[in-house]
Amino acid sequence: MTIKIDKNKCYGFMAGCSLPSYSPYGVIKTIEYLNSIFPNFAVIQKCCGKPTKAIGQYELFKERFQSLQKDIDDLKIDEMIVACQSCKVTFDEASPTPTHSLWEIFPIIGLPQEVRGKAKNSDVVFTIHDSCSTRYMKELQDGIRWILEELGYKYIESKYSREKTRCCGFGGMVVPANPEVAKKVMKRRVETLDSEYVVTYCAACRSSILQGGAKAWHILDLIWGPVVYSNNLPPSDVLASPIKAWINRYKAKMGIKNALK
Amino acid sequence: MGLNRVIFSDSVLNDAKKIVSECMGLEDAYCKSRCPMGTDVKKYINLIAQKRYDEAIKVIREKLFLPQTLGRICAHPCEKECRRGKEFNQPLAIAALKRFVAEKADKEEFWDLKVDSDTGKKVAIIGAGPAGAQAAIDLRKRGHSVTIFDKLNVVGGMMRVGIPEYRLPRHIIDYEYSYLYKLGIEFKLGVEIGKDIKFKDLLENYDAVLIAHGAHKGNIIPIPGNTAEGVYTAVDYLKEISLTRKISKPVKKVMVIGGGDVAMDCARSSWRIGAEEVYQCSLEGFDSLPASKEEVKEAIEEGVIFNAGWGPVEILEENGKVVGIKIKKVKSIFDEKGQFNPQYEEETKVIQVDTIVMATGQLVEDITDGLIPQTSGGRYVVDKNTLATNIDKVFVAGDAAGSRIVVEAMALGRKAAISIDRFLNNKSLTEDRDFEKEWFHETKLDIPLPEDVEDIPRLSPNMRPAEERKRDFNEVDLGFTEEQAVKEASRCLKCECKLCMKECIMMNEFGSCPKEILEPLAKHGTMEPIIAYSCNGCDNCTIVCPKQLPMKNVFISSRKDFVKANNGESPIKGHAAIKMHQLLGFSKLFTIKVRGGKKNDYKDR
Repeated sequence: MTIKIDKNKCYGFMAGCSLPSYSPYGVIKTIEYLNSIFPNFAVIQKCCGKPTKAIGQYELFKERFQSLQKDIDDLKIDEMIVACQSCKVTFDEASPTPTHSLWEIFPIIGLPQEVRGKAKNSDVVFTIHDSCSTRYMKELQDGIRWILEELGYKYIESKYSREKTRCCGFGGMVVPANPEVAKKVMKRRVETLDSEYVVTYCAACRSSILQGGAKAWHILDLIWGPVVYSNNLPPSDVLASPIKAWINRYKAKMGIKNALK
Repeated sequence: MGLNRVIFSDSVLNDAKKIVSECMGLEDAYCKSRCPMGTDVKKYINLIAQKRYDEAIKVIREKLFLPQTLGRICAHPCEKECRRGKEFNQPLAIAALKRFVAEKADKEEFWDLKVDSDTGKKVAIIGAGPAGAQAAIDLRKRGHSVTIFDKLNVVGGMMRVGIPEYRLPRHIIDYEYSYLYKLGIEFKLGVEIGKDIKFKDLLENYDAVLIAHGAHKGNIIPIPGNTAEGVYTAVDYLKEISLTRKISKPVKKVMVIGGGDVAMDCARSSWRIGAEEVYQCSLEGFDSLPASKEEVKEAIEEGVIFNAGWGPVEILEENGKVVGIKIKKVKSIFDEKGQFNPQYEEETKVIQVDTIVMATGQLVEDITDGLIPQTSGGRYVVDKNTLATNIDKVFVAGDAAGSRIVVEAMALGRKAAISIDRFLNNKSLTEDRDFEKEWFHETKLDIPLPEDVEDIPRLSPNMRPAEERKRDFNEVDLGFTEEQAVKEASRCLKCECKLCMKECIMMNEFGSCPKEILEPLAKHGTMEPIIAYSCNGCDNCTIVCPKQLPMKNVFISSRKDFVKANNGESPIKGHAAIKMHQLLGFSKLFTIKVRGGKKNDYKDR
């Protein structure tokens, strides 16, 4: 399905949970940019309830998602844009509001002039770790490749990419349930990637890939952050520390408030 | 833990049942499924590839007491099913590998000599061939006392007097049969039932009788001249050569009628008793000869002249002795109804020969004085599943019950032994018995050929030169060297499904395949919560599954049922963190909703 942007409509954006917990900066820069593009725009920071559902609490999930849907309706949002693949799947299943992935939207609205081609001198060759929850969403995956090319980064496709992608180890709430298994899955995922420089478009995946032993950047790090060269280290694994993660989440909330003042 | 009994929802149970019934994870490899004795071919071949010879021979010995023999003469149905055969026409040389490892590693100390305590029951077995021997072993191990009768003075049955010595040296049979003596099985050789001892007397003196005397009556085809001197049945011809290394009458020019392995044996044996010209003819054309490709190849190497697709119509005789044979070109063998009804072209030829051997089927003699009826095909009438007969204590095995090759005869011997043991213990012959396991079967394995498989050609064992070997009775096949054997064994594709198990890490923690992991759920409605909660929900298992079975659905959807049984909470301790995470994720402290863009529009809408 090709997305048509209708500037008369109100577009809502939600970054999800792990992304604001990882990078309030990336979230706020994205919101500022989207706000400059869409005349009717709104932002929600909340959880979609996917973890509640994943552990089997379906009734509670329904209740929680309803509260989110109420926010969407209160803000009179016509279509949602989400930056988290679990949100995308959850919205597609549970919300009447049409929902797009941010990675499908970028190729339509374009990247800001100042970031285009910025990395053309980078010596890094990335590979992409696709999120397994959206393994069949080709346009979303194309968007990530488009962004890398727009920025000027080189990348190679791994054998296990797109619909053949493998789980990073984080899915299904396995980390708290069976940490040893999750750790093995993370290691194995890294072994099946064809570069130690990995791009993800999920902050939880990024954390898993780091734990698996590779260097990983979130795609927003590449858009809004400094150009990455092969001697650079990736941002540290913020999500490994719950306190830092919640502080970031709070920072993101405050940042959103300021950005849309 | 306060987890109540989990009542799984129908959708979860139905998915689990579907997986348990369709998952191919526990299906036998093609080779194993085709072996009537169920030998774990894949396992021992791969042990050979790893040079773990002692373990390999033990795997073989779990099923087969004569690995050196079978390594030489088994008709190896397993090779016909080998994936490398189906894909590239280059099946693994399984039999030759078995011979290699048996010669290399079989030791008497590996022979299982455990015998159950004496039951006081006596079993008579008629026939010391593979069926009788296998049944004797199995019954002796169950504690019965066993006596084998054979009219020959030697053990081995058709392996001894049917299969030529140049393929199976006789000392190997004796060595492998020494196992039976070690178990305490009694042999009465040179005793013919029906002649020396009446069948009826056996019935009186034994608690059970197994008839396994084979099919030693040759078939003479009805054509003019078939009673002339110089006409033999294959059975008589091979038996005489086996026992005396000659034929009492002069044999210079021989015609063997038949296209199977027995015909090849007759033709090749003829060289070894001094024949100068050896011919073959058969109704079947060259490409549809029933004989194994190896046998045909070796016969051609030795100079046998083939007339495949030519049928015999008349034996020419002078003074009552064979002087030639007229053969006619075959047009078709079966008629429109599929009945045997050969039709010929006009073309004929005459070949001058002094000896004619008819390798055209074998029948079973009746040694029971009609007590056990026979079918028109010359086999005793038995219950196919149990091998029981019209007399309670009498069972039949081997060629007398319809087997065609040694390993089938052994399987029938084993089957009969199971029945006899049940009979002697006053148990039902059929109850709780898995007949499929007692014979070869269709495996449900249906998997794609792995992407990186290359066509690596089959290695042939080392043969003596044809001109040298055809003039003596020494073994023609020298077998594999170690290097060859390891290389050949390494070609095994290790056929199994378990594709999902190569993808999924977590399932490997809980079993060998989804069928095994989900059997308790499908059958008894139980599953450990940690199994369900260790699934990442990535779906890679289903993607690679040839049947696209829904493993994720079971693991993820069942969580709802676990929560229901656990007062609305996850049964997993670690999930307390998720509970907190979710409370905060929805709390006012961390959430916000705010309009951006042109604020005025917001109010107007």
